[in-house]
Amino acid sequence: MKISQSQPLRIRRDRIGETVILFFVGTARFAIAAQAVEEIREIDELQEFHFGSPHEKLDKVRQMFMRQGKTYFVVNAAEHFRLAPGNPARLLVLRHAPGSVAVDSIERMQEIHAIHELPDAFCGEERNWYRGLTLIRGQVVPVVRAESFLTKAEGTLLAAALRSSRKNTGLVTA
Amino acid sequence: MSSFLSTRETFVLFPMGKKRFALPATQVSELARSQRSPQEQAQWFPHTTPLITGVVLRRNQIVPVADLAPVLIGPDAPERKFYLVIDRAHGKSRRMAIPVTGECELADSEQLPVTGNLPSYVCGLLSLKEEIVEVLDVERLMSSEVRL
Repeated sequence: MKISQSQPLRIRRDRIGETVILFFVGTARFAIAAQAVEEIREIDELQEFHFGSPHEKLDKVRQMFMRQGKTYFVVNAAEHFRLAPGNPARLLVLRHAPGSVAVDSIERMQEIHAIHELPDAFCGEERNWYRGLTLIRGQVVPVVRAESFLTKAEGTLLAAALRSSRKNTGLVTA
Repeated sequence: MSSFLSTRETFVLFPMGKKRFALPATQVSELARSQRSPQEQAQWFPHTTPLITGVVLRRNQIVPVADLAPVLIGPDAPERKFYLVIDRAHGKSRRMAIPVTGECELADSEQLPVTGNLPSYVCGLLSLKEEIVEVLDVERLMSSEVRL
């Protein structure tokens, strides 16, 4: 991807042609790169998961599921984005990430042509959450950074906790 | 001897509650009505930055909206239908919109040094007839140490 160094406007834009999936968490609409999503599936057959000790950044993971011997931890998107509890109904199974994301609904797929840099005034967790902002019919939609939902380090911590839990309960670890 | 320069400058004065505040006119790029079209209405997306209430689209740019009222006058801010769009000193995407009531005016004045026990985001004072107006340092105001 090329990043223009000589934009006439002050906001840097990544000029792209990219397909994104639009989804809702509560009333907030987000976009995620379609190529970052392996599968969209119903929320069913989820197992409860407790990390054990309180951990602010991992409280958003309370469920998991197994598929083909692989464990997927489920990140509650409402908790991730510090929103009021929603009604998760769909799972975005992420590609190249140890997690999947529970969202309220999927709107549609959409081609976007530019990602605007998140303005400097935003200095909180959103700098990690978002790759930038895109405009869809005049509406500003944040484009999420898929890897921010669950980092590899967090995934490793969760997997270790799961192994420990299974060991303590006498279950065989995958 | 003070190194403070006492040259005359132009300032934009804007009311906030019962007080007026000032910004150097060189920082202010426009005074805009907040709801000229649906697309120019403030939009919101999740974030954790204090004082930022959303974004507006201005001249094809996504401009963050910073409501300074909670810091300047507390929670009882009046309805505001205009934005002062300012250019911040640093950064690439520097524009920021500050909601104001619209009764703004320009004033030529000397910026006097801060005296007394004023908040750290006040970078100077203007003496205007029967009124002392605080000149704001928006960067300082937006910084976390001031808000905390």
